[in-house]
Parts: sequence; structure tokens; C-alpha cells
Amino acid sequence: MQITGMKYGAPILKLSGFPVPEVLNANATLDEIEKLIHKRSKCVVKPVFYGGVGKKGKAGLVRIVKSTSEALQAKHDLFFAEHSFHNQRIQSTGVTYEEFIPSDYEIYFNLNVCTSSRRASFTLTHHGGVDIEELPSVKIINKSFNVLTGLKAYHIIDALSDLNAPSEIISPLVQFLPKLWNLYNDFGFTTLELNPIRMEKVGKKYFPVACDFKAQFDQDNPHWKRLQLPPEIFHANLSKFEAEINQLRTYQGQSDVVVINPKGSITSFMFGGGANSAATEVLSQKATISSDFGGNPPYEKMYQIASIVFKYWLKQSNVLLIIGGKANNTDIFVTYKGMFDALRDYVNENGKPDIYVVSGRGGPNLIKGFTYAANILDALEIPYKFFGYDSSMIEVIQYAVDIDNYLLEKHTQKISL
Amino acid sequence: MKQVDNSFSYFVGIQNLQDVAPKDARICVMNILGNESRKVTPVSHAFSGGNVVAGVQYGRSGILETPIGDIPVYPRLAQVIKHHQFDTGVIYLPPGAVFHAVTELLHYNKSLKRIVIVTEKMSVKDQLVIREICQSNQVDVFGANSLGVGDSWNKVRIGGALGGDKPEESLLKGSIAIHSNSGNFGNTIASYLKTSGFGTTTIISSGKDKIIQFGIAEFLHAAQNDKRTKAVVLYVEPGGRYEQEALNMIKNKKLKFDKPMVVCVTGRWKSQLTRAVGHAGALAGDGDGAESKEKWFDNYLEMNAFDPEKPDKVGKKGIRVKSIQHIPIAVKAVFDKLKWNNDFKPIGDLSLKPWMGKDFEYKLPITLRLPVVEAMDPYNHEIKKFNKELGGSYLRRKMRNASGASRIDPKTQIAELYNSPVVDLVEYPFESNIIFTLIKEHPHQEDLPFVNACLNYLSRSEDIYYEAILVAEQNNATPNQALMTAVSMMGNNSQFVLGKKYIRGLLTLLTEMEVKDKFTPFDLEKASKIAKKLFPTGKLNQDDFAKMMISELNEKISKSNIIQFVLHFIKNNKLENCNLFLIAAIYTDIAFQALLLKKISRNTVENLITFTGIEARISVLAGINPLKNTLLKKIRKREPVKILQTPFTEVAFQSVFDRPPRDTELQEFQALLALTLTNGVGTISAKGAKESVSARNNISTAFAGFMSNTGLAHGGAGFEAVDFLIDAFHKMKISDPGKIPDAFRIKSLSDDVAIQYLEYKQKAKAEGKTSYNRIPCINHPVFKGNPINTDPREDYIYHHFKQLKIDNVFWEFYHELVNSLFKVGVSSNVYCVNIDAVIAVISLKLMWPDYKKDRIRKADMQKIGFIIFLLGRMTGVSAEISDHLDRGQDMDCRTPVSETVYVV
Repeated sequence: MQITGMKYGAPILKLSGFPVPEVLNANATLDEIEKLIHKRSKCVVKPVFYGGVGKKGKAGLVRIVKSTSEALQAKHDLFFAEHSFHNQRIQSTGVTYEEFIPSDYEIYFNLNVCTSSRRASFTLTHHGGVDIEELPSVKIINKSFNVLTGLKAYHIIDALSDLNAPSEIISPLVQFLPKLWNLYNDFGFTTLELNPIRMEKVGKKYFPVACDFKAQFDQDNPHWKRLQLPPEIFHANLSKFEAEINQLRTYQGQSDVVVINPKGSITSFMFGGGANSAATEVLSQKATISSDFGGNPPYEKMYQIASIVFKYWLKQSNVLLIIGGKANNTDIFVTYKGMFDALRDYVNENGKPDIYVVSGRGGPNLIKGFTYAANILDALEIPYKFFGYDSSMIEVIQYAVDIDNYLLEKHTQKISL
Repeated sequence: MKQVDNSFSYFVGIQNLQDVAPKDARICVMNILGNESRKVTPVSHAFSGGNVVAGVQYGRSGILETPIGDIPVYPRLAQVIKHHQFDTGVIYLPPGAVFHAVTELLHYNKSLKRIVIVTEKMSVKDQLVIREICQSNQVDVFGANSLGVGDSWNKVRIGGALGGDKPEESLLKGSIAIHSNSGNFGNTIASYLKTSGFGTTTIISSGKDKIIQFGIAEFLHAAQNDKRTKAVVLYVEPGGRYEQEALNMIKNKKLKFDKPMVVCVTGRWKSQLTRAVGHAGALAGDGDGAESKEKWFDNYLEMNAFDPEKPDKVGKKGIRVKSIQHIPIAVKAVFDKLKWNNDFKPIGDLSLKPWMGKDFEYKLPITLRLPVVEAMDPYNHEIKKFNKELGGSYLRRKMRNASGASRIDPKTQIAELYNSPVVDLVEYPFESNIIFTLIKEHPHQEDLPFVNACLNYLSRSEDIYYEAILVAEQNNATPNQALMTAVSMMGNNSQFVLGKKYIRGLLTLLTEMEVKDKFTPFDLEKASKIAKKLFPTGKLNQDDFAKMMISELNEKISKSNIIQFVLHFIKNNKLENCNLFLIAAIYTDIAFQALLLKKISRNTVENLITFTGIEARISVLAGINPLKNTLLKKIRKREPVKILQTPFTEVAFQSVFDRPPRDTELQEFQALLALTLTNGVGTISAKGAKESVSARNNISTAFAGFMSNTGLAHGGAGFEAVDFLIDAFHKMKISDPGKIPDAFRIKSLSDDVAIQYLEYKQKAKAEGKTSYNRIPCINHPVFKGNPINTDPREDYIYHHFKQLKIDNVFWEFYHELVNSLFKVGVSSNVYCVNIDAVIAVISLKLMWPDYKKDRIRKADMQKIGFIIFLLGRMTGVSAEISDHLDRGQDMDCRTPVSETVYVV
């Protein structure tokens, strides 16, 4: 759950009273754009991406324009711009026109959670505007603080002093940066990053203005909903399948999914975070989805989840894999009944799929669950192998891969005939 | 006074793994009666010798029963404190309430040592706050999202369900301590370690949220101080720098740790993710992905990852493995390197051992063909128990508007029974469909003579049943009403009871003999000994029916060992009712394969004599002249006995038409019966039967319920069509509707009817009538809108009959008529001839000869049509009854008050 850019960043920052430039959306009139350019004799045009997308400047996707015609040309170029980020190709969904802020200093500021100290922390440098990974450690500082008292002015003073920051920027930053803590703490952030904060000189004084915004929210903290952001900005990077499953998400978990390969040939139900990690790794690109349905889901939920999974993935799959370790708490009978009732109903609706079912599992009511599943598979005449927890889980997954390889080869031969 | 170790810049209370889950820990569980806790806590409590002193369930008080005594439950913690002392809090509350519970525990209990948080999906914010307040109160925390902690030496489990419902299997005493980001893997790794002969000292499920409260550094510190622990196993996922921090502390000598470690890092693939799947904290940020973590450990261990092919390539400091399955051999390799012994003799191995499996038609290569092996104890006993259970089982649920038997295919609109469209069932004779509706398979061709003999034998009713029907008819009862009287009288009679007893006994015998298929011979003498206990001997000798059946069955012996046994048994034993025993044997033989495949329930098979007995008797009792029809009289008298081999379709035909069938009439009749077999679970005929089942009635009462829920409204379109066709054909001399006159005559007739209808319609419109008669059985709300429309159901049967060279002049007329209606402008496109027309044209064709000879009148035709519907639907309803018996619940057809309406 990430957002980047000033389209949503500017209104969020305004809630804390942190200064932001004027930002116009793609539907701004020529008159409005002209006025924005006129204000500083230039303005910045940026593409709008959903999700946590960075490195736009490096990719040449940020334009500084001096006239409306240049602004319109930039809009034309950037409105549907494509950007590669973290091995993903992402397309822009519009542009923003942002007020240009002249500055002598660029600040990087990040509020986060530090797993080393297990506390809230901030990272700060006055050598911002660049990739901070490229900065030597002496030019950047990271400090943890007590979440019960929050980020205080003295944290900022101490940090900037340690960095030997110019004294002219210390006071304005001490005045404004702590404001961000309230925003971070009250609206469910896990990360809040401003880079750059440009220090604008007004008269003899400097004022910080946030010129880019990056945020990550904690989906387990409902406070992010207070921002009333349009839901599509979080759902845009979800597939239809993921979005449908996501509707079943509760605090008990049991419905985490991600699409691995839309053309995969093994569809798996993974139970538990460990099985999820291990199985996804072994299956690699053969997996249609990665999932974690652990946490003892009730029957109805398991049935609904399985129905959705089958609807999207069963037809293309050679192998249906159900994998987990020796469950501690998940009732194997309940979960298997949910899945195999859904399979039976899928077959009633769509006919028998050409699949091989492989399952490895342990836990409460194991044999009751296995036998229930075997009943249905026998009736449907779908082949299967069920392994207990005395077979290596990884070997079971590998067996599913081997079956898939065999079936892929068989299908290829059939086509070539 | 709590101690703080100086190695850490933060509070760590637990200095030794022995203190993680000590024998003397006393526990209070928050939300003890919640869904998860009320199942898990009793197991933990019993395993740990009773370490839970109390629980809190906000607003409620009471007890939680456990195998070793009740745990008191209080409505708030303040009351617990008044009565009990504890040092450990376990929290099972929803995420939003966890922080509150932590503060409550800290507020009321100043001697609290540790908190285990089982709850998952907690916000990062709450976890940070909990961290701060527990640090300042000097309390150790495990979780959130922890499955708890366990000590195999102390036999103590605290918190979640580590080890599931059998913690003694996983918490086996040994020398390895486990710290796992996955609770499931903590358990699984402990099970795996047994295969190399290692048990555990302590298992910690750390949870894998963003904040891990009891991290690796604290764990290693406590493990170092634990003399029981010789080595540690770490299961690590991406995200967070806990491991880096711990290894740096060791490197910088801030933390002393010199015991070997075996580490498994998973989750390389997660580097591509931008949101968590599975564990919330297993999302790599910058530089804390799986690959980074692998490097941290490899650098510390000064070794590359473990290669199971080269097990000697391990270091004394330990090794990193790529997969958890390598943990046992890697631990063994490290122990060998250090010349240490394992804890006990290895138990089992991790090779692939399928406990269950079938390949059906798949011919896998030899390398993938894994034979099913016996599961380990005690699972092998459970599987044997399951294998002994014949037939499928269903979870009971409300079946008011649900059916596991019938449905309407949303795409084709064709009614289906057990996934077979009714249009496919027209190819099977009535007797075959009677069996299919119950066992979900059609009997083999060679079994049909036996099925016919059974049905005919069971079809006999005493005189009083005919008299009851007669009285009802004299009082103007409708056919269904009269039949209902007779069916109600059947009750659960002695034939049904004994028949059920025989089938049940045979199934028990086959189970005891562990018969896996009917083609494998089994010990007849041993089976006979069991059978003597199941089937008390009687005095009856074998009558002609039994002799005939035995003679016929002798030819079947080679194909079924069930039949072979039954013949062997009755040869040497007299039974109370040999005839019924033989019928029971035939039904058991026919249904056995479906039972083995769990396609049907044992209960359905046990009731086969009841079901088919009722259906056979209805088929005869429903006839228009059953006491005088020659065939029916002979069957009733069972003389000659061979008459009982008459195909039951013919018996039903003669019952309905009171004459022998001609040419192709039996095929047409069986098609009619099949087409009316079901129209889905929503039909009121099916609902009548299902509602009766839900009130827990006899099977015959459920058939009476079906009868009471049918009436003359059924088949309305069919009657109108018969009327329409008789009028249309009144000028055309048709003596045999199976012979098609030349195409021109049919076309001419359809044009005339179309023009007449056009004039009628125009006149009706001119007179301002909004309601006028429609031509029955054409057009359909789904199959419309194309230039030429077809009802696929009608089309299928039309072509099926054409293949059988069965013609029908009325059907041809309908096909011409839709064209003529379009041609003259009645319709804007060519309507389809719908499925109702099929029933009408076949019915009329069958009745036509008798109608033309004045043997029957128009009113009789309506009655015959209705009886045909009743017989067809009866078989479909038997499927609904058996399905509802298997899956339904008492009173599940009741309409909730919220759905009822009071109408003024």
C-alpha cells in the first residue's frame, strides 16, 4: 500500500501544516497552467504513477517547462509514460503541474521503523535530492526514538548538528519536521519519505517545501482510511483475482495472495508463511499464484477462496498443489472440505479439469481431511497423491513440479501429433 | 529484582532458554473462550501439567473444560488478580484489542515476566508501543503472530498451538533449540529433526511481523546459557535486520555465542513484492532480502550453503541450508564434525511416502509412479478405519433450496441429474434410469435382466391398495391424490425393513472381509461364518422365483465374487426370505463399485429395496386398468415366473396404455419418462418430497409428499399442445403418426394453420383484446432473437430419434409451423420448437391409435399424460429424497420468519 507523488502527497502534507508547492492536476486549464508558470517563470511536469514508484527523475520523466506549449507537450509525452521500476513496467495515469521551488538546499527526510532498534526512526540529510544510498555515511544520519513521546525538536537539532548542517536551515527544519510525526502516527504510515524538501528563501529566512512524497501504509492499521484516499490508487496494482480475494481479508489473515505467473501451470494453496516462502521459491515461474491461507480459516471462507482460485486458474493448470507443514492450529478437515467442495462445485459447473492433485500436509484432523478430499477426487476420477508430514515438504513440491513437467511434455506431444 | 544483561542496549529478561517456558510458569489467557483459544488452551494446559491458572473473557465468567480439570474464567483481569497469581500472559484477542490487554496485564500484575501474543495482523504502531511499554516494565514479549513457545524437557507449551493437537509428537526431548519465523515450520522442523535422531530443548515461534519482540540475538544469548542446548536451528525469512544485528554483536564480542547453528533462509522470490504475502514482516526492504540474509550467515559461518551430496562440507560453527528438508542431515553432519552423538535413534525418514493416491487413467512414467504406503502410526489406523467405511459421506447442511442431485445447466437450460442432462437419459430404459437416480451409475447391460426381475418382483401390491385407489377415484380424486393414498399405506413395511437389513448385512460382511473390488475372490467359508451371525436362518424353502434367479445368477458367478458368495451361502443355509436376500445381493453387487468410489452413501444403498419397491409399485398402481391388463395380472401372480423378466419399461407402458407396445413405442415411451425426470430442485414436486424428508418421515411419506405437490397444473403446455394438434389434424387422415405423409401435405397444413392463426390474432387485436391464445410449445425466453431459433434440448432429441429412424408426423408439423408463422408474418423470426413440444408430440403419437379407435377420449388423454409425468418425475424425485436424506438436516425446509409475509 504505497503512494508516490504530489497529486496525493500535497493534500496529505497540508493536513500537518507542512509547506507544499501548488499542484495542478492533468485537467488544469491553460489559464491555470499559465498562472502557475508565471508564478516562478517555470513549473515542473511529472507523470502520476500508482504504487511505490521511484527514480522518475533518473528516467527522464520529470520536465521543467517555461511555457504552456512546453507544458502541453510534456503532458502529451508523460501522460501514458512507461517506467521500469523493480522489474515492473508501469504506465503513468496522468500528470501533475507543480510549482517550481528555487532552493539552495535539498533535504532528504524519512520516517520509518527500525528493526535493529525495534523503534521508530528517522533518516535525515541536507544533501538530498539524490539517491541516499549513494551518499557516504557521514553525510546521512539515522536516529531512533520512543514512539510514546514521538519525534521531538531536539531529535532534529541533534541530528542536524551531528551532520554539521548550515545553521540557517536548522531552525526552519526543527520547526517543521516534527509536524510530520503526527501525520505519520495518526494516519497509519509505516514509511513517510520526502525527497527533496527544497529550502526556499523568503526574505532572509528559509522555509522547507516538500517537493516529492512517498508513503507506505500499514494495511493492518485502519487509520490510513482516515485520509479517504480513492481506493483505486491502492487497487490499481492488484489483479482482478487479487482484488476479489482481498475482499475476504480479515484480521485473521487466511487470504493473502499474489499472482506470480499468469501463464503458470501449477496452482497452489499454501498454508502458513513458511510454506508460502518455501513453495513459491521451488515452484518459481510454474506457480500461477503464491498464497497463504493459514490461520485456521473457517469453512465458508475457505470455500469462497477456493471457488475464486479455481475460477481464475484451474483451467490452465496441470497440477493443483495443496501444501503446508504440520499445522498447529489449522483444522485440516475444515480447510480440505472447503477446497474440495469448491472443486466439486467447479466441476459441476465447468466440467472435469485435466489436473493432478498433489498434497502434503500435517495437523489436526489430517486423515479426516485427506479422506474427505479423496472421496471427492475418487468420485470425480481426478488423480491424486496425498503425503503426510513424514514426507519432506520440499520433495512433495518437487514431485508436483515433476508431474507438471511430465504433463507439459505430454500435452506438447499431443499438440504436435 | 529483574536482571538486565549488559550485552544488550535494551531489556532482555530471559537469560537462559530454560526460562522461556519453565515448569513453574503460571499463565493467564486473555480471550480464553475465543474460537482459537478454547480449542488450543485445553491441549496446552493438559500437556503442561496444568499451568493455566485462569482466563479472561470480557463480560463473561465460567470455566473452560480441559482433560485435567476446569480453568476458571473471569470477566476482567482485576478479578483474576484477586484470586490467582501468574507470571505469564497469553493474548488471543483481535488485533485492535491487544495493546489494551498488554496495558491491562502490566497495570494489574507487577510480577509479570512474559507475554505471548498469538494474534496476527497487528498494526506496526501498536507493536512499537507494546515494545516501549514492555521494555520499560521489563517484561519479555513473544510475538505478535507467534504460535507460542515450548520446552521439550519441561513438557511445557505456552501460548499458541505449537505442535498442534499432539504437542508430544513435536516437543521431543533433545539437544536442539529452534527459533523460527514460522510457527508452522517450527513444528515441522522439530518433526523433521526426529528423522536424524534429534529432539529439542526449546522451540520459539517468533512471529514474523515487522517487529519481532524476541529476536535472534536474545535467542542466541539464552541458548548460549542453556546447558541442555548443544546447537540451534534458525528458520529465517526476508525483512528486518535482526539476524545482521545478532551476528554483528557476536562479531564485535558484544554477544557470546559459540554453539553451532544450522540456518535456513527462504523467500528469495519475495524481493519482487511490494506488499506482504504470508507473514506481514517478510517483505524485504533495502538490503534485508533473502539473498542479503544468506550472505550475512555465510560470512559468519565462513561456509557456502550445505550440499546434501557432500555432507562432510560443514563447519564447526554450523552451516546454512537451502531447504528445510536438509536441516536434519545438516545438523547430523555438524554433530559428526564435532564428534557428538545424536539424541536418540532416528525415527522415520523424509522420503516421499504417499499415504493415499490414485492415478486413474494417468499412466505416469515409472519414476513418478509412487506406490501408496502405509502411513505411520497412528495415522495408519485412522486410514484403515476410513478404508473400511463404505460409501461417501456428506456434511449436513440446510438443503431447502439445494440439491446434490439435480440442477439446471445455466448455459444450456437443460435439467441435469448427477451431471447427466435429461436429454442424454432418453437413451436408457426406464429400469436403468430407476437405478441411476439412486446409485448415480447406470447398471451394466448384463445386469438389466436382474434389475427387471427385482422390480417386477417388488411391484406386487395387495388388493387393498387397488381398493384404496378405486375409492379415491370414485370420490373424484386426481391420479396423484389416489396414488398418494396407496403410497402412504406402504409405510415402512416389513419388506422394506428386511430388505434394508439384508443389504446392510451384506455391506458389513464385505467390509469385514475387506473386499476392495468384487472381482477379487475372498474366503467363502470365513465369510459364511460372519454371515450366519448377520442373517439369522429361517425355515422358508426356495420358491420358483429364487430358483430362477439362482439359475440366472450362476452364469454371473464368474463376474462377481459377491454373487458367488451369496449363492454359496444360500445353498447351505435357509433364510427368512431367500427372494429378498437375492434381490439385496443383486442390488449390493450393482451398487458396490459406486460405493467403493464414494460416489454414493451407504445409507442410499441400504435403502435400495425401499426406493425401488415404492417406485415399482407406483408404476403398476398408477395404471389405467392394472387389475385387468394381462401382463400386469401375470406379473402380480408371478406366473409363469419367467414373466418377471419382462423389461420394466414395457410393464410401465402397459400400465399406462393398457396394451402391448408396438414398433418403436418403448423407445419413445422411455424418452418421455426421461425428459420429465427432473426440472431442477426448485420444482414444487421435488420440494414436496424434500420437505417431507426434512420432517424426518419414512421414504414412502416423502413419495407421498411428492404426489401431494403435483397436480393437473403439471404438464399444462403439453395438454394445450395435444388439443392444438388434434384440432390442426382433424381434417387430415392420419392412421399411423409414425409414417410421414409427403412433405407438401405437412407444409400445406402448417401454412393453413399459420394463416388461420394470423387472422385470429388480427381479429383479436382489432377487437382490442390484449390477451389471446398463443400457439403452445413454440418460442422460448432463452432460445430466441436469432433469425432461426432452436431449442437445443428439442433439437438433440429430434436428431436422436431421426438416427433411430423414429418419425413423428406431429413433430414434423411443428417444425414446419414455425417456418410458416414467420412466412405469414406472425413472428419476426423463426421461433424454436421447445422441449414441451417433444413431450406433447410423443404423447400424442402413443395415444393416437387408441384415440382414433375411440378407446380413449380427450379427457383420458389428459389423465394419461399426467400419469406419464408422474412416473417420470417419480424417478427424479427418488434422487432428491436420497440426496436430502444424505445431506439435509431436520426441519431444514422451514421458511425463516424473516422471509414470511403477513398479507392483509
